[in-house]
Amino acid sequence: MKISPLFKKAYDNMRPGRITMEGFLGDDERTLTDIISEDEKEVKFLKMDFEIISSKLKYFLNEGLKGLGEPLTVDKKWLVRVDEARGRLPCPFEDKIVNKKTVYVKNVEKNLDFFYSDLSIHLIEAHHFFEGKGSTFRLEPSLIKQILEI
Amino acid sequence: MEYKFLFDSLVIAGISTILALLIIIVDSIVNNYGEVTISINDNKKVIKAKGGSSLLTTLSAERIFIPSACGGRGTCGACKVIVTTDIGPVYPTEKPFMDKSELETNTRLSCQIKVKQDVSIKIPEELFLIKKIKARVEKITDLTHDIKEIIFKFNEGVDFSFKAGQYVQLEIPPYEKIKDFTQRAYSISSAPKIKDKIELLIRLVPGGILTTYVFKFMKEEMEFDIIGPMGDFIVRENNSVMICGAGGSGMAPIKSIIEDMIDNNIKDREIWYFFGARSASDQFYIEKFRSYEKILPNFHYVPMISESESGDRWKGEKGMITTVMDKFLKTKIDKNAPREGYLCGSPGMIDACVKIMKDNGIKEENIYYDKF
Amino acid sequence: MTPNINVVILLFASIFTGNIVLSYFLGLCSFISISKDLKSSNGLGLAVTFVLTISVAICYVILKYILKPFDLEYLRFIVFIIVIAAVVQILEMLIERMSSALYISLGIFLPLITVNCAILGVVLFMEIRKYDFLQTLFFSIGSGIGWWIAILALAAIRRKIENAPVPAGLKDAGITLIIIGLMAMAFMGFSGMLSVQ
Repeated sequence: MKISPLFKKAYDNMRPGRITMEGFLGDDERTLTDIISEDEKEVKFLKMDFEIISSKLKYFLNEGLKGLGEPLTVDKKWLVRVDEARGRLPCPFEDKIVNKKTVYVKNVEKNLDFFYSDLSIHLIEAHHFFEGKGSTFRLEPSLIKQILEI
Repeated sequence: MEYKFLFDSLVIAGISTILALLIIIVDSIVNNYGEVTISINDNKKVIKAKGGSSLLTTLSAERIFIPSACGGRGTCGACKVIVTTDIGPVYPTEKPFMDKSELETNTRLSCQIKVKQDVSIKIPEELFLIKKIKARVEKITDLTHDIKEIIFKFNEGVDFSFKAGQYVQLEIPPYEKIKDFTQRAYSISSAPKIKDKIELLIRLVPGGILTTYVFKFMKEEMEFDIIGPMGDFIVRENNSVMICGAGGSGMAPIKSIIEDMIDNNIKDREIWYFFGARSASDQFYIEKFRSYEKILPNFHYVPMISESESGDRWKGEKGMITTVMDKFLKTKIDKNAPREGYLCGSPGMIDACVKIMKDNGIKEENIYYDKF
Repeated sequence: MTPNINVVILLFASIFTGNIVLSYFLGLCSFISISKDLKSSNGLGLAVTFVLTISVAICYVILKYILKPFDLEYLRFIVFIIVIAAVVQILEMLIERMSSALYISLGIFLPLITVNCAILGVVLFMEIRKYDFLQTLFFSIGSGIGWWIAILALAAIRRKIENAPVPAGLKDAGITLIIIGLMAMAFMGFSGMLSVQ
C-alpha cells in the first residue's frame, strides 16, 4: 500500500532524534496506519471515544496547572502534577506547536498512575495516536480507562 | 564467454566508481567553505574556524558556549544570538521562537544557521566566562521522594567562580533508548564561596530524559561534563526588601543567594522567603533555614503546604504560595519600603506570583525570575 | 533507426503535445505536493529540468558507448538509476550552497527527484524511440520545460482555488487531481499538431 505523504512525513518525524530524542514509536514495528487503526478498535471496544478521552486529559492538565508546579488533589480521587519545561514541541504531523508540559496523574484509590504531555492530548484528539508500544509517552487506552474512570 | 558475468559486473562497478568520484569532487568544491572568520561583539574576540557546521557547534568547538537547553535540536529556542552580517532569511524552524523585535534585530538561533561565510555576531559578554569542565558526583541525598540533592566535585585546581543564582548545564551520556548526549539546565544551590564543588537540586519529571537518568543510573563517583555558569538571575545590590518565592527544585538559586549573603555578612537586608510544597513530607531544608534565620536577623523563612494529610503535624502556613504571599504582603511586610521580587519555579507559578506582587504594588521591573 | 524529426519541432512537441506529466502522467508525486506553493514549484521545476537534461545526456552516452558495445543492455535500468541518483546528489549540494531558502522549502522532494518517474520515463523514451544525441538533448530539455510549465500552471491555479468553496471531501488532493485532469484535457488540444516520434 502506498503511504500518504503526510503519514510518511509524520512517521519520519517520529523517529528518534528528530523531534524528541527518544522518538514517538518506541520499539513498535507496525506502520503508523496499523498503530492508529488498532488503537481505534481498542477504544471502541472499551466503549470510550476520543472526544471524551481528550477532554478528560485536558481537564486534568488545567486542574493540575492550578498547583503551580506542585502536586494537587483533584476531585478527592486523583493526585495531579504538571511540569512545565522550557521550549516548545512541534507535532510530528506538523499541524501544531505546543509548550512542553507533562501531566502526572495518580489515581490514589487504585494506586495506579501514568503521565502524558500536552502533545499527547493533541495527538490523541487530532490524530487518534497514542504513540508506539514501548515509547515512554505511550498511553494504553485500557490504562486511561482504569485511571481516569471513564 | 564464461567470464561475461564478471566482466559485466566490473563495467557497472566502473560506472558507479566514476560517478562516486564525481560526487566526491563536487562535494569537496561545493561544501568547502574554507576558513571563515567569526567576529564577536565588534571584534572583541575574533575566531577562525572551518566553515560548514552550525554556529552553535562552531562556537562551542572554540570553547564559547551559547546556552542551549535542548543541545542544538531547535526545540528550546535558548541559543539566540544577534547576527549583524546578512546571512539570508530566517528559517521556518526558527520563526516560532522569535518575536517581532527579535526579527527586527536579526536575532537567530545559533543551532539552526550554518557558518558559510565570514560573520559578525553579538552575544552577552558573560558568555566568554562559560567553561566546560569535568565533575565527579560526590554525594547524592534524597531530600523528598522526588527531589535529590547532588554534589559535584571538580578536579584539583579548578576554580569554578559563579554568582549566586546562576545555573549550569549538566550533560549525561546516551542510555537505553536515548542515543545521544543530553544537556539540561539546573540552578546551582550551593554558595559561590565554595569553588571546588557545586550542589544541584534535581526533581524527577515523569518521562524527562535527564531526570530519569539521574534517578535510575546516576551513582556517586561517576563523572559528568558541566557547562556554566550562565544566567542573570542574581541579586541586585540595594536596600530594598527581598521577597523570594519558590517551589520544589526552585529552592536551588534562592538557597545559593541566601547562603551567599551569610558568607558576605550582609545582615541588614530584609528578606522574606516563601517556599511552597504540597504536603509536609514534600518540605525540606526547614531546619537549615531556621538556623539561617538566627544568623540573619532580618531573614524570614515561610514554608507552607497546600494540602494537609491525616497524621502530619504541620504547624506552619497552609495554602497555595500565592495566597500566603498575598496575606504577608498585605499584613506583615512594610508596604512603603522599596520591594523586589525574586521568583524561581514553573512558568505557571511565576506568572501567578508576579500577578500577586503587582497587585500589591511591586513594580514589574523590580521582579526578577528564573523560569524553568 | 533514428526518427527523422527536426530538433526544434521535437522541443516544442515535448513541451506541449507530448507533455511528460499531462500526456504521460509521469512525475505526479511531487507535481501534486509541491504545487501548493508557487515559489517552490518554480525551484523544483528548474531542478527537474536540470536533472533531466544532465542525466539523460549522460545516460545516452553510457548507453551508446558502453552498454551497447559490450552487450550490457540488460543492466540499463540499474545504470540509469545510478546516474540519476548521482546527478541529484550533486544538484542537492549545489542548491544547499547557493540557496538555503530553496533547499529548505523543497525539503524531502529534492532527494526524491531521484525516484521522480518523469526522469526515468524520459530516459526510457530516449532509448525506445532511438533518438540521436541532439534529439535526445532537445527532447529532455523540452520535457523538463514541459514539466516546469505544468507545475507552474497548476500552482497558479491552486493559488486561485485556495479561496474557492470546495466541498470538504474534495479539498487539497481531490480538487488538485480534478484540475490536473482538466489541464490534461486542455493539453490534448495540442495533440496531432506536432509529433514526438
